[in-house]
Amino acid sequence: MTSQPTATVPSPAIADAEPRIRVRGLGKHYGALEVFKNIDFDVGPREIVAIVGPSGCGKTTLLRCIDGLLPHDAGEIMVGNERVTEPIAGVAMVFQHFGLFPWKTVTENVAYGLRMAGAPKAEIERKVPEFIKLVGLAGFEKAFPYQMSGGMQQRCGLARALAIEPNVLLMDEPFAAVDAQTREILQFELLRIWEERPTAMIFVTHSIEEAVLLGHRVIVLKGRPSSIHENIVIDLPEPRTRETLQLPRFAELRERVWSTLMREAREAEFVLER
Amino acid sequence: MHHALRRHAPFWLSIFAGLAIWEVAGRSTSAAFMVPFTTTLVRLWQLVVSGGFFTALLDSSELFLTGFVLAVAVGLPVGLLLARVRILRVGVEPYIMTLYATPMVALIPFILSMMGFGFAPKVLVVFLFAVFPVLYNTVEGARSIKPELIEVAKSFRSSEWALWREVMLPYTLPYTMTGVRQAIGRALVGMIAAEFFLSSTGLGQLIMIASQNFDTGGVFASILIIGLIGVGLMRLGLMLEQHFARWRQ
Repeated sequence: MTSQPTATVPSPAIADAEPRIRVRGLGKHYGALEVFKNIDFDVGPREIVAIVGPSGCGKTTLLRCIDGLLPHDAGEIMVGNERVTEPIAGVAMVFQHFGLFPWKTVTENVAYGLRMAGAPKAEIERKVPEFIKLVGLAGFEKAFPYQMSGGMQQRCGLARALAIEPNVLLMDEPFAAVDAQTREILQFELLRIWEERPTAMIFVTHSIEEAVLLGHRVIVLKGRPSSIHENIVIDLPEPRTRETLQLPRFAELRERVWSTLMREAREAEFVLER
Repeated sequence: MHHALRRHAPFWLSIFAGLAIWEVAGRSTSAAFMVPFTTTLVRLWQLVVSGGFFTALLDSSELFLTGFVLAVAVGLPVGLLLARVRILRVGVEPYIMTLYATPMVALIPFILSMMGFGFAPKVLVVFLFAVFPVLYNTVEGARSIKPELIEVAKSFRSSEWALWREVMLPYTLPYTMTGVRQAIGRALVGMIAAEFFLSSTGLGQLIMIASQNFDTGGVFASILIIGLIGVGLMRLGLMLEQHFARWRQ
């Protein structure tokens, strides 16, 4: 239980700008079950905030509230100057289950978000190949999801989200359904793409390593109902690369998040569901 | 070449054997009950030459297509609507299930007394035979859509209309096509039943007249044609089904 001075220092990524996302006093129930309460945090316009927590802590629910897919019961969510009550423009989500339309090709899937946003045809025809190339799917334009590996499918899901050029990206355990090697590759691909096109990003994961590698800050959700237990600044040099994983500071931060999380997780493992 | 021959040989052998049995059985039975295959072909040719056959075919096609197209045009959108609006589905489902399970032939006397002998009541019979498999399969298909895909559409701010067009319809079409394939067979039964029991026209009339005239060759020729049309339409249905299901592994 060492107190880390970094915990209160604002992240350099947000120090100089208005937050893009502002979450205040957020609470959510499912009937009698209170999922989370008193959630407060900001995300800067060029900041990646990773959210970790034990299974069932409501991190995915929290992300769906921020996307406006689920209503919240208390508090408020602001994206820019807009109060979130339903999905809003400029926010895109990447799903754990990929969420590709199986009857659409890569091109048609990537075009989907743009078409829903009412983009003109010429713009769609220009942008879709650009984003397919950005995520490394050039040559697979006509492939259907069932023909592709999980990694390729998630690249497609990422391209679909990026194509609408969102200023907020919501990542719902996007690499949880792919194998370990692919996951590592995709993490660095995501970092490369983010360097090229930085946005505000909330990255929900249950991998501590992934959270520390990608996040400028890591938020640890804990308890039932869950709330923010810690908000840890990840002061690792940028850009993050494979070398980042070798830094002593990386190991330190990973241990820090791990010890915060595991104390609770051990207890949670042996709690019977009500 | 050799392979193809070997693969198709049982099929053609079976057809040949079937026709041979028909021929032999026909020749050794009274012509009042049954005629051989060759006689059937000759009678068919006479019907074609006299023009009676094509008039009948055209009449039947008109009836079949009108009833069938109406069944798909109603069954598909109503099916999607029922899948999307729970309260409607719960209310309507018992009626659909009952009607689907009811042998439609039983309704024909009722339709006759309500609507008489025109074209419309016959279309209604074909429609009733065909609509339920389309409707039922559409509802079941649309209900099995993954909620995740609806969520994706919502996340990308899809309108309700775009949700139907881009997600529900393409997802459901393969299921609907399974219903369409079943509906083709049932519509054909409905067509003949309507032509028998309501005003007599088309291929149904051809059979009736031939039967009344003890023209067994004419009866067999008509049945042969209806059977072949049925096989062709089933094939078409299967192709449609496969076309719309390309994206399913």
